[in-house]
Amino acid sequence: MLTKKQRRGRWMSLAFWIAASVVTLFPIYWMFVVSAKSRVELFGRPNFIIRNFFVENYTNTLADPSFQRYLINSIVVASSNALLVTTLALLATYALSRYKLVGKENIFFWTITNRMAPPAVFLLPLFLLFTQAFTIGEWKLYDTRIGLILLYCVFNLPFAIWTLRSVIDGIPKELDEAAMIDGANTWQVLTKVILPLARPGLAVTAILTWVFAWNEYLFAATLTSVHARTITTGLAEFVTVTGTNWGQMAATATLTLLPALLFLGLVQRHIVAGLTFGAVKE
Amino acid sequence: MRSRLGTRAAIATASVLAAVSTAHADFWSDAAAPYKGATIRGVSESTPPSNYVKDVLGPAFTEATGINVEFEATSWDQMYDKAIKDMEAKTGIYDFVYIEQDIIYSYLARDFLVNISQALKDDPKLASPDFKADNFTTFINYFKNADGDVFGVPMEAFVKVYLYRKDLFEDPANKEAFKAKYGYDLAPAKDHKQYRDIAEFFTQWGKDNDQEVWGSTVQAHTGHPASWYEFFESVDPTFGVYNWGINPDGWSASEANGGAMNSAKAKAALEYWLGLLKFAPPESTSSTWDEVAASFAAGRAAQGLVYGENAAWIATNADKSNVVGKVGVALPPLEDGVLQEVEAGKGYIGYYDGGAFGIPYSSKNQQAALLFLQYIGQASVQADWAVAGSRITHQATYDDPKVKEMDAKTDGYFTLMKNDGKLFAGAPAYPFHAQVREATAPFFYEAITGALSPSDALDKMAEAAEAELKNLGYRK
Amino acid sequence: MRSTTIGWLMLAPTLLILTVFGVVPFVYVLVVGFTDWNAFAADPTAHFAGVENYRRLVFDGQFLNSLWKTLWFAIFAVVSQVVLGYFLAQLLMKDIPFKGFFRTVHTLPLMVAPIAVGATWRLLTVPGLGPLPYYLERWFGIEYRLGTYADQAFLTTIIMDVWHWTPLVTLTMLAGLASMPKEPFEQAQIDGANKLQIFWHITLPMLKPTILATVFIRMMDALRTVDEVWMLTGGGPGAATRYVGLHIWRVVFPKTDYGYGAAMSLLTLYLTIVMCWLLYAALVARRELPKAE
Repeated sequence: MLTKKQRRGRWMSLAFWIAASVVTLFPIYWMFVVSAKSRVELFGRPNFIIRNFFVENYTNTLADPSFQRYLINSIVVASSNALLVTTLALLATYALSRYKLVGKENIFFWTITNRMAPPAVFLLPLFLLFTQAFTIGEWKLYDTRIGLILLYCVFNLPFAIWTLRSVIDGIPKELDEAAMIDGANTWQVLTKVILPLARPGLAVTAILTWVFAWNEYLFAATLTSVHARTITTGLAEFVTVTGTNWGQMAATATLTLLPALLFLGLVQRHIVAGLTFGAVKE
Repeated sequence: MRSRLGTRAAIATASVLAAVSTAHADFWSDAAAPYKGATIRGVSESTPPSNYVKDVLGPAFTEATGINVEFEATSWDQMYDKAIKDMEAKTGIYDFVYIEQDIIYSYLARDFLVNISQALKDDPKLASPDFKADNFTTFINYFKNADGDVFGVPMEAFVKVYLYRKDLFEDPANKEAFKAKYGYDLAPAKDHKQYRDIAEFFTQWGKDNDQEVWGSTVQAHTGHPASWYEFFESVDPTFGVYNWGINPDGWSASEANGGAMNSAKAKAALEYWLGLLKFAPPESTSSTWDEVAASFAAGRAAQGLVYGENAAWIATNADKSNVVGKVGVALPPLEDGVLQEVEAGKGYIGYYDGGAFGIPYSSKNQQAALLFLQYIGQASVQADWAVAGSRITHQATYDDPKVKEMDAKTDGYFTLMKNDGKLFAGAPAYPFHAQVREATAPFFYEAITGALSPSDALDKMAEAAEAELKNLGYRK
Repeated sequence: MRSTTIGWLMLAPTLLILTVFGVVPFVYVLVVGFTDWNAFAADPTAHFAGVENYRRLVFDGQFLNSLWKTLWFAIFAVVSQVVLGYFLAQLLMKDIPFKGFFRTVHTLPLMVAPIAVGATWRLLTVPGLGPLPYYLERWFGIEYRLGTYADQAFLTTIIMDVWHWTPLVTLTMLAGLASMPKEPFEQAQIDGANKLQIFWHITLPMLKPTILATVFIRMMDALRTVDEVWMLTGGGPGAATRYVGLHIWRVVFPKTDYGYGAAMSLLTLYLTIVMCWLLYAALVARRELPKAE
C-alpha cells in the first residue's frame, strides 16, 4: 500500500515527466511539421497541425540513390565502431584497474586528452595520413568505412574508457581473485565474471559510442568523398548552412533520425535489463 | 502532376544524348576509346546547375564515352575545403573541381589548375570540334590567364539583380498614396533615396494592412559572409566604391594609405544599407543569399537585391513561390554619376556571379576530365541546362526558344543579363579573397548588430585588411 | 600477482590506435604551429616562424574573446546538465507509470546528429517561420532575434546544448545510481538520517566517479562544440557565439591560415588539458578525504 504522501509524489513525478516530455519533443515535432510543408506554406503564423502532407520533401530525398548508400555506410560505421570501441575499452579498463602498470594513471589521463583537441586543424594531418600514408598501391584509407571506424576510436575510446573505468573499479577485486583461485584464466574471468557484472555499464557505453559515431559530421565530411559518405554528411549535402529548402532539410533530418530511433527502440530493452540487474542486487 | 526526380533525370539524359549523338557521335566514342572504363571524380557545391551535371550530363557522358563520372555534391564550405586540400597536398582525388569565379585568382596564383587551351593544343585528338571558347559569354574571360588561355569551363553564371513586386508597385491605390507622401511617382528605384522611400512606404503599408510585408530584403546574416558579400559586391559599387575599396597599388585599404574601404562614399553606403534593416523582414539578420530569396518568394518583401539563380524559380515556380507572375526585374539603384563611371570602364554596378569546372594538376585522369569539360561546354546541352538551373554561359543560349519562353515569364531577366550584363562584374582579381574577407568580416557583423558605428566598423575593417595583407606578404 | 605483460597486451590495441590517429596528427600540428604556412599567402610555402604565432595569439583579442565565451558557455551548459540530469535520473529510479516511455522520449535528442540539432533549432528560431520568436513576441513582448541580439544567441546555444546533452548525463547517472549497493542506504535509514544527509554522505560520494566522468566528457565536448552552433548562428551575431572550435574552423578552413590555426588549436588544447587536470586533481583529492576520516 502506498501512503498518501507517496501517491502524491507519484502524481507529481508523472506530471513533471509529461511536461518534460513535451519540452523534449517539441523541437523534434516542429522539425516534423516543417518537413510536411511546402515552401509556400512555411511563413507566417506558426501552425502546428499538418493538413496537407507535402510528400515531395521526402520523395526527393528518398529518390536520391546516394541517400540509401549513406544510410548503409552510417549503420556499418557506427555499429562496427561501437563494437570495436566497447571491446577495446573493456580490455583497457580491466588492465588499468587490475594490473600494476607503470604510469597507468598518466596513461588513463592521456587517453582522454585525445578527445579534447579542437577538431578543425587536425583534419589536415588526418587528410594527409588517409590519402598519402595509409595506402596500398591504388588503395587509400581515404573514403573507406574502415578508415572512419578506426578514426572514430580517437574520440570514442577515451569516452568508453572513462565511463567504464568506474564500472570496472566498482566490481570487487575479490570476485575475480576468487575465480582465479578456482582455476579460471584471465579470459574466463573477463567473460564469466566481469562481463555479466559490467553489463549495464557496457550497454550504456556501447549505445553512446554508437550515437557519437552515428552523429559525427566534420571528420566524415573531410575524409570521405563518394563511397564511404555517412548520413550526416548527406544531410549537409541536402541542407548546407545556406539551406532554405527548409522543408526538405527537415525531411532529411527526420529521415536521418529514424534509423537512430529504431536502434534506440531495440536497445532500450538492454538498457532496462542492464539497469534492473543493478537494482536486483539489493 | 509531379514527376519523380529519377524519371525526369532519365528523360533529360535521353534527350541530351539524342541531341548530341546526331551531331558528333563519332568524336566522343573515338576520342574516349583509350580511357574507356576509367572513372573521373569531381566535387561541386550542391546547387541546381551542379545537380543537373550530376543527374543528367554525367550519365549522358558515360553513355557516350564509357568513362564513369563520380560527382560529389556537397556544401559550399566543404567543397572549397576539400578541393583546396586535394590540390594543396597534390593527392589527385579530384579530376575536376568547381571553381567559383571569386576563387580562380587564388587557384591560378598557386598553379593548381591545368591550362585547358594548352592541353587541347598539345593533344588535338582530344579537342572536340564542338567546343569553342568563342561560344561562351564574356564570363569565360574570368577563367583566362594573361595570355588568354582558358583554365575553367564555365558552368553557371548569373547577375545579382533588383527584384520588385510588380503587383504592389502597380496597384493604383499604392501609387496614389506614394505620390501623395513622397511627391514623385512610385516606380522601381533609380537611386538610393528612392529605394529607401519605397522600403519605408511598403513597411508602413504592411503594418497598415496587417500583412507580413516589409520594404526590402537585406542579406544581413551576422555570422555568415553572405552579408559581407552583399555590401562589398552589390551595395558599395553602387556608391562608387569598387573592388572592396582596396588599392592594388601597394595593396592599401584605408583612405590614409590610398585605399577606399573606409572612404566617405563607403561610409555613406554602409549607413544606407544598415538603415534598410528598419524596413526589412525580421529574419534579415539571419539571412544568407538563400534566405533572402526565400523571403522574397514568400512575399515578405516589396523589393530586394536577389542573386540571379533564384530569379527564375521565384518568378515561375508556384510550388516554391507565392509571387509567381508578380516579379519585376530591374537594374540596382545607383548614386549619381556611378553609371557614367561604369560606362567609362571604371567600375561596375553589381555582382556577376558564377563558376566553372577546372582540372587540378594533381589529377591522374586529365585527358578523360578534359573530354568531360568539353562535353558540358558544347552548345547542344546548354538550353535545357539553362531551363533547369537558370544559368547561361553561352551567348547563343539567349536565343534558344526555351530560354526565351522563360525570359518572358521572368520579366526579362535573361534579356537584362544579355544586354546589361556588361555593367556587372565578378569579384576582383585577388588571390587573397577569402583571407581578407575573413579578417574583416567580424567587424562587419558588429556593424550590423550595432556594436560598432558604420564609420568605426569600416575604419577597423580597413585596418584589419591591411594587417592581413601585410601578414600574407602582399603589402610591404 | 598478476602478470603485467597480459595487462600491457590488453592495453596495446587502445594505445596503438590512439597513437596512430591521435599522437601522429598531434605531432604534425605541433610542427605546423611553428610555421607561417598559409596556402594563399604571397609565398604559400611553410617557413619556420619560431614562436611568432604564439606571441600573436596572446594579443589576439578575437581569439581570447572566443576562449572566454567558450568557457562560459561550457560552464553554464554543463552545470545545468549535471544538475538536471541527476534530478531526472533520480526520478527515473522511482516507481512511476510509463517509466520506460518517458525514458525513451528523454533519450530522443541524443539520437539527433549535432548538425541536425542546429538545423532543428534554426527552424524553431528563425523569425517569420519559427514558433519561438512568434510566441515570445506575442505573449511576452520579447523581440527575439538570434541574428541581432548577442545575449539571446548566447543563451539559446546553451539551452540547445542542454536540450541535446542532458539525456547523456541522465543515462550515465542512471547507470551509476543503478549499480550502487543498497545496503548503505538501508543502514542510513535505520540510523535515522534525513534525505539531505543521505544525499550528502552516501549518494554523492558513491556517485562521484560517475559525476566526475560525466562532467569531464561533457566539459571537453562543450569546449569543442562546432556543428550545432555553426548551423544555428554561424558564430554570430558578431562574435557572440563564435566558440573556439568554430573560431579555429574559420581560421583554418576558409582562411587557410594553417600555421596560426595550428598554434591556436594547440594553445586551446593545452588550456583544456590544464583545466581538466586541475578539476581532476581537485575532485580526486576530495574523493580521498572521506577515507581519511
